[in-house]
Amino acid sequence: MDAFLQGFQIVLQPMNIFWVVIGGFLGTIVGMLPGLGPATAVAVLIPITFGMDPTSAIILMAAIYYGAMYGGSRSSILLNTPGDGSAIAATFDGYPMAQKGQAGEAMAISAVASFIGGVLAVFGFIFLAKPLANFALKFGPSEYFLLMLLTLSAIVSLSIGKMVKGFIAMALGLLISTIGIDPQTGVHRFTMDIPHLSEGIEFLIVIIGVYAVGEVFYNFLTIDKVKKEKKKVGRIWFTKEQWKRSKWPILRSAPLGFIVGVLPGAGGSIASMMSYSSEKQLSKKPEEFGEGAVEGLAAPESSNNAASVGAMIPLLTMGIPGSGTTAVMLGALIMLGVRPGPLLFENDPGMVWALINSMFIGNIALVIINILLVGLLVKILDTPAKVLYPLIIMLAFIGTYTLSYSTVDYFLLLLFGVIGLFMKIMDFPIAPLVLAIIVGGDMEQNFRMALTSSNGSLSIFFSSGISITLIVLTVLSLFYPIVINRFKKRSRNGDKEAISA
Amino acid sequence: MKKIGILLLSVLLLAACSSGKASNSADYPSKNIEIVAPASPGGGWDLTARSVQKILKDNKLVKSNVNVINKPGGGGEVGWNYLHSKDSHNLAVNSSLLLTNNLLGQSKLTHKDFTPLATLATEWQAIAVSVDSPYKSINDLMEQIKKDPKSIKIGVGPGLGNDDHLAFVQVADMKGITPADLNFLVYDGGGGDVVTALMGNHVDVVTTSLSEVKDQHLAGKLRILTVSSDQTLEELEDVPTLQEEGIDMVFPHWRGIMGPPDMTEEEIKYWDEKLTEMVKTDEWKKLLENNDWDDFYQNSEETKAFFDEQEKLYKDLINDSGLVK
Repeated sequence: MDAFLQGFQIVLQPMNIFWVVIGGFLGTIVGMLPGLGPATAVAVLIPITFGMDPTSAIILMAAIYYGAMYGGSRSSILLNTPGDGSAIAATFDGYPMAQKGQAGEAMAISAVASFIGGVLAVFGFIFLAKPLANFALKFGPSEYFLLMLLTLSAIVSLSIGKMVKGFIAMALGLLISTIGIDPQTGVHRFTMDIPHLSEGIEFLIVIIGVYAVGEVFYNFLTIDKVKKEKKKVGRIWFTKEQWKRSKWPILRSAPLGFIVGVLPGAGGSIASMMSYSSEKQLSKKPEEFGEGAVEGLAAPESSNNAASVGAMIPLLTMGIPGSGTTAVMLGALIMLGVRPGPLLFENDPGMVWALINSMFIGNIALVIINILLVGLLVKILDTPAKVLYPLIIMLAFIGTYTLSYSTVDYFLLLLFGVIGLFMKIMDFPIAPLVLAIIVGGDMEQNFRMALTSSNGSLSIFFSSGISITLIVLTVLSLFYPIVINRFKKRSRNGDKEAISA
Repeated sequence: MKKIGILLLSVLLLAACSSGKASNSADYPSKNIEIVAPASPGGGWDLTARSVQKILKDNKLVKSNVNVINKPGGGGEVGWNYLHSKDSHNLAVNSSLLLTNNLLGQSKLTHKDFTPLATLATEWQAIAVSVDSPYKSINDLMEQIKKDPKSIKIGVGPGLGNDDHLAFVQVADMKGITPADLNFLVYDGGGGDVVTALMGNHVDVVTTSLSEVKDQHLAGKLRILTVSSDQTLEELEDVPTLQEEGIDMVFPHWRGIMGPPDMTEEEIKYWDEKLTEMVKTDEWKKLLENNDWDDFYQNSEETKAFFDEQEKLYKDLINDSGLVK
């Protein structure tokens, strides 16, 4: 308790409040720009943090991290282009909402959802950090494999009506994820003697290519045909009805995202996708998902922000980075002479609690910043295409370059732009492709590691309670939509009350 | 306003200084120095490059400006390829990957294609087990592996052929175990991932750099069996070195700095002087301490000989490991 109060004292120093606000703002901005993610932003800031007090430095870096979770969905909603993997789910309903003229409501609800998710997760952090860190240790290769399998099956099952196309897109993504050096054997796979490919294809390039560049290409095709009627952006605050629909999904998604965030390697992409699919399955109106259902936007937004808080747990309690951004943070902290790990809570409780408490302040600052920005951002929709599209292309190229400072990536970017274009023309769902690339590599490695450690026996996938739970959930996620459809059809003639009960 | 004034003034002064000096000393360096970090920002190479940059600048050891440029990809390959085509104002950070990439057939470049300038620092390797593991010493563990190699799962990352992997291979080799029989599980997330795996009992032992496991050991969350250093390490007085366990080897995980091919004698001498000074600064010592690195400074001449010796060692280890057929 003393440490908790001491932490608050540290955060409330004007300098630290300043860093929280700056970090949150920067995070929001980089989160919005495709390709520029929190990892890049933190990395670029490392030289600046050299001279800083370590506590201020970690507060600043953390603020950038969860700030980016707020910002990431802005471009998903407005341009159908996620700023990062964890903002993919926000395109599903966020963009349709914007097309219906509800961009303002969408951005406001997502800011509030992020806020609630973040704050609940900070409470989770305070009370559950240690037991959850221990729970995360139980995840071995077989559990990770099954978790990723569940994510993929959930996303494929979302594409109802075009399930086959969903599977094809996913298979393509899995194929792409095998490019690079195979860690288990050191063999180069599909690298075509290009050294740049030996580390595989960065999934952010695929996101920027397929979504941003693909979207621009697609709009070029139709730019002359349809005279887009101006969608008036009516309001910048959500309605009571929208809040009523989102309230429970937001509250349910926060703990889910938080727990997934604690697992090293899982992170915001998986968390937001899982919340989206579970909300869709729990919903009484699943048919509205993908058409602009407000809860379909609010749930993943709450979830990915909670995940970013959860990701701090393995970093601070064990010194293990759970995501790209926390890995960069770990490097920066070591430079400052702070070694996150089991001893940090004992040696430097003031700093840990200052960080935790800064997340309260940061989330409050961010929800205000983001709501204030709504009025400004909706103007993007009024920007004429001849200005907007070149701008997007420019940002896409800049973002791609910052990923690994290589021009090889430009060609990949264009290639994926073209792939994205064809997927749109032929009406393939894009998310399964991207998600398969994000999790594919790890999924394969974990599968093989699991088999190596069991000497080839598949029984390892049924050997723990966690595994079996994950298998059951996977089966449910695949068959639930089918079963529920049958059930609904059958009972359509019968008692309607029974369904809603 | 005042600050801007001071800034302007200092810029002018600096400009005056450098133009005055350029005439009397040798012309090198005549423009900005660029240090290539062959990795993304935030990693070990990047931190090394940025620390060198900062210390050279802050102590005014080098009169020109020093920049860091990131060229990640291919385990250093992309950055070193870039350096290969540049002039002597470009340097790059390196490590044993410079030697092993070539030996593993992943790169055509070797250390002979560059001008070694210095070995700067080293980390040590550690072999660790969980606290409730039945193996109390490295010899216990090796005994079991000898009996049944498949029974011990060894966690390593992020890929085979790196120091973490080869250090263990060498230990096994010296105990008369065929390294190709070892049961490695490769975690491509690297050091942090293997530690998580060990703590969750998903592997029986991990081989990794000391910094990944030191704190966990001090906190009693896992047990380091042995370290690869030449003498007992501070804070880890209870951990024997390999030599103390009767396994006669020392395994440094070193980092150094090099220039492009064909640097002149004077240029090499310049860096020998500057880098000798740099490793003596307090900032450098603090950096070593923060990272759990040890001083491992060797000048250009010594580094060259060291590379030849290391190449021979790695060649043998890689052959034994069964990675190259």
